[in-house]
Amino acid sequence: MKILKITSILVAVIIASGINSQLQSQELTGRDIVEKVYNLPTGEDQISNLTMTLINKSGKERIRKIKQFSKDMGDVEKSIMFFQSPADVKNTSFMSWTYDDESKSDDQWIYLPALKKTKRISSDSKSDYFMGSDFTYDDLGDRKLDDDTHELTGEETINGIDYYVVKSTPKDEEYMYTRTKTWIRKDNFIGLKKEFYDEDEELLKVLKIKMFEEISGFLVITSSEMENVQKNHRTTMVLSNVEVNTNISSSKFSERMMARGM
Amino acid sequence: METLLKKLLNIPWLSIALTIVLSSVFFYFMIQNSEMETNLDKYMPQDHPAFVYSDQAEEWFGINDGIIVAIENKKGIYNPATIDTLKQLTKVLQKMAEIEKSDVTSLYTADNIVGDEDGMDVKRFFKRVPTSGEKLNELQQNVRNNEMVYGRLVSTDETVTVIIAEIRDDVFTQEFYNEILELVDSFQTEDIKIHVAGRPIVEGTMALLGPADMKRMVPIVLLVITIVLYLMLRSVRSTLLTMSVVFFSTLWSFGLMAMVNIPIYAVSTMIPVMLIAIGVADGIHLYSHLHLFQRKHPEAGKKEAVLDMIKNMWSPVVITSITTAVGFISLLTSQVYPIKYFGVFTAFGVLVAMILSLIIIPSGIMIFGLPKLKKENKKKKTNNSTFYQSFALKVVRYKKVSIIATAVIIILSIFGMQKLWINSSFLDKFESDSEIVLTDQFINSHFGGTTSLNLILDAEGEKDVFKNPDVLKLVDKMQNQLENDLEVVGTSFSLADYINRMNKVMNADDEAFNTIPDSQDMVAQYLLLYEMSGDPENLDKVVDYDYEKLNVTFQLKSDNSKAINSALAIIDTYENEFSEMGISMKYAGSGYKGLIFTDLILEGQIMSLILSIIIVIILLSFMFKNIKAGIIGAVPILITALISFGVMGFLDIPLSTTTALLSSIAIGIGIDYAVHFLEQYRMNAKKTGDIELTAQKTMAHSGRAILFNAIVVIAGFLVLLFSVFPPNRELGALVSLNMFTSFVGTLTIMLVLLNLSKLYFNKSK
Repeated sequence: MKILKITSILVAVIIASGINSQLQSQELTGRDIVEKVYNLPTGEDQISNLTMTLINKSGKERIRKIKQFSKDMGDVEKSIMFFQSPADVKNTSFMSWTYDDESKSDDQWIYLPALKKTKRISSDSKSDYFMGSDFTYDDLGDRKLDDDTHELTGEETINGIDYYVVKSTPKDEEYMYTRTKTWIRKDNFIGLKKEFYDEDEELLKVLKIKMFEEISGFLVITSSEMENVQKNHRTTMVLSNVEVNTNISSSKFSERMMARGM
Repeated sequence: METLLKKLLNIPWLSIALTIVLSSVFFYFMIQNSEMETNLDKYMPQDHPAFVYSDQAEEWFGINDGIIVAIENKKGIYNPATIDTLKQLTKVLQKMAEIEKSDVTSLYTADNIVGDEDGMDVKRFFKRVPTSGEKLNELQQNVRNNEMVYGRLVSTDETVTVIIAEIRDDVFTQEFYNEILELVDSFQTEDIKIHVAGRPIVEGTMALLGPADMKRMVPIVLLVITIVLYLMLRSVRSTLLTMSVVFFSTLWSFGLMAMVNIPIYAVSTMIPVMLIAIGVADGIHLYSHLHLFQRKHPEAGKKEAVLDMIKNMWSPVVITSITTAVGFISLLTSQVYPIKYFGVFTAFGVLVAMILSLIIIPSGIMIFGLPKLKKENKKKKTNNSTFYQSFALKVVRYKKVSIIATAVIIILSIFGMQKLWINSSFLDKFESDSEIVLTDQFINSHFGGTTSLNLILDAEGEKDVFKNPDVLKLVDKMQNQLENDLEVVGTSFSLADYINRMNKVMNADDEAFNTIPDSQDMVAQYLLLYEMSGDPENLDKVVDYDYEKLNVTFQLKSDNSKAINSALAIIDTYENEFSEMGISMKYAGSGYKGLIFTDLILEGQIMSLILSIIIVIILLSFMFKNIKAGIIGAVPILITALISFGVMGFLDIPLSTTTALLSSIAIGIGIDYAVHFLEQYRMNAKKTGDIELTAQKTMAHSGRAILFNAIVVIAGFLVLLFSVFPPNRELGALVSLNMFTSFVGTLTIMLVLLNLSKLYFNKSK
């Protein structure tokens, strides 16, 4: 689970935005730009409250409040989330360990308080949507730089802000998108808008970053919305009480902690 | 009226030219603007509460009918070739423009959720086609252990696996069907057979086949009628003039339909059939009168003959046409628009036929001269006249025979009507050995069923009701009862199946936990887990966002009304229990809509039947200025309708959208016979004052014309017996039967009743 990476393309760091970027912009390739987005430092760890709202085509909402912790431990990234509401799933928790080594698949566990048991979950479906939302695990950051070929297709200025427009095409022809189009801010390398096209080359989804904040020196995207334009279904994710680099103990990410609660 | 018609006689060329010009205008519109409507949903009254709800529910849960592609390998499906076919075919279907990728379900797309001591595993059954024996065995075991697919996507004898591709109702076209058939064909090998079935195919084929068959059969019907008509009238000119009336009236009807932008529905293809049956009658009666006049006055000129014909015949022609038109207009009471249109445009055609008969036939005679009566025929005709007269005498003298026979027939018919049933089945409209029926049977014998019935449980706004274990347990119980008690219910599917499965998986795949857990929190947590690990869109098909509406799907092995009603009967026994929990029950889906639709059609038919009989009695009483005449005139119609329904009961022909329309024909035609006979009877009564002589003369005049009319139309409709579309065959047989009973009824029991009632002879007594 990649809640930390909700934002790997979303979370950016001021430091990285940079001095030299403006000068070098002429020579940057599509891949260079995306690499900068992927490589933005995200901090060692993060704590936040996530409110995820799913809105279906008839306008009905499912609102889930989650407290989440995540920590980058070098070759493995661990995260844990505790459901706060709705009441009938309170204290349900979910943990995932993601390895940098691509050949190693994620480890995932779930704890169901009604069952009073922690269970390991294994799933081979990477393209699957995250908790019924419009974000896939890949959208949330599981995608690697060289899974796609990136092409700088243009530059745009919207409301006085300059963007690179990058087209990314997956190397795997069977992948769920045939291409994506990302608007990346030239000044801080935040991807502010992204369009996803399906196998018929039709627009499938649009991701919009609605707000980013500076927290402990890091730029954190705190409000984003993904809309599936074909299904007329939307998901918003809002982060609050974000804390970065608080030195979360590594022991926090264990099956025992899942059952014990926060 | 009479004077106008007489004036027109002076300008015969102009009348005919005008008719042709007008016909050309209608023809132009018909060519330019005619549109065939094959989407069956367009037939349903959109504002009927049952349909409104069903449409909503279909929207909420994405309920669509599926095309079923069944891959069969008699040696078993667990071999690389068959599994590869399954995968490739799934992928091709997913890419088709008419099909949404996520609406294709097969073993290739399905998730296999399994549990063990440690936890839970969500996997595709296979991504790469397994080639080793070991992998194939593993796949086989996985399928056997998963109730969500075993018996649903793979048959329990493991020789068939299906791909289900849901499409919207309006997507189906003949081209699309052909494309699928070609596609499927390209995948067939010696071992692997592929079958295509499903309601969209059945509906689509039916919507195309019925009218197509009608198009093919109508010209043959016309030809046969023309030939028989010629044999009766013995004159090419008379035959062609009569047929041109039928032809033009049909043209005008369809032209008008195109002018006012109403598409041609499947029922509309019956309009020509009606107009043929009714339109020839006017001509036959006119010529019949003319022949008799010529025989009596061989020296008379054409003008004289035509004037006499118009004088004596215009009023029965007008009366019969108006009463017939009224019978069809009464179909406006139907809630089904295509039937309303059918009624209105047939009525219009009938009136056009009336006007044209009174204009074209006299004008034609004025232009082309009188038909020549062959001399040798004369003697025969005289013999014939005596035959009709002696028949009339016998009928009048042995009244008891007719009365007893009628009584027996009525009793038998009423008895037969008890067995009459309504069928909304589409499949039953096909030949029992047709490809479409055989495929359906094949799939039904291996899987849950090709017809789905959706039960929508609605907590009326109360959220999270369908996380309540008590509610889910009741749903589960109901599903089990239907599956166990009813042969016709193959499988069923609801949220309960997901919860059962999750409970089992989270308890190390222990079969004892294949149940609904007792705690509502547990249910909620399983659902969350499923959303996180499975495909959450699957849940949207069984429950709404707020857990206040539930969709339970029952798969039925038959789409006929008896089958659907048997399922409804059991489901309805749960109504009280659900209602105590604040849950209401409603139904949705095409099978249910078909059932309601058929009921609506029949309700409309019965209403219009009753209404038109009342109107006919009133009209006749008014026209003949005697209520007795009205009632007696309605007798043949009543008998015809009774016999028609009685015979259907005995022969197990169910009432359906096609056969139900027959009552209109029964009235339309039956009334013609009665009116002509009554009119003639009245005139003869006035002339002769002798009750037996009146019967004889009427029989020789009208009786003969009615006999001709019946023979012509029966011959024409018997042609439909060779139709390839069973409903059209039934139509042919039943119309013929109706013509025959109307004919016999008019000449026997109606004459007897007239005789007994002493109608038109009261004053002399």
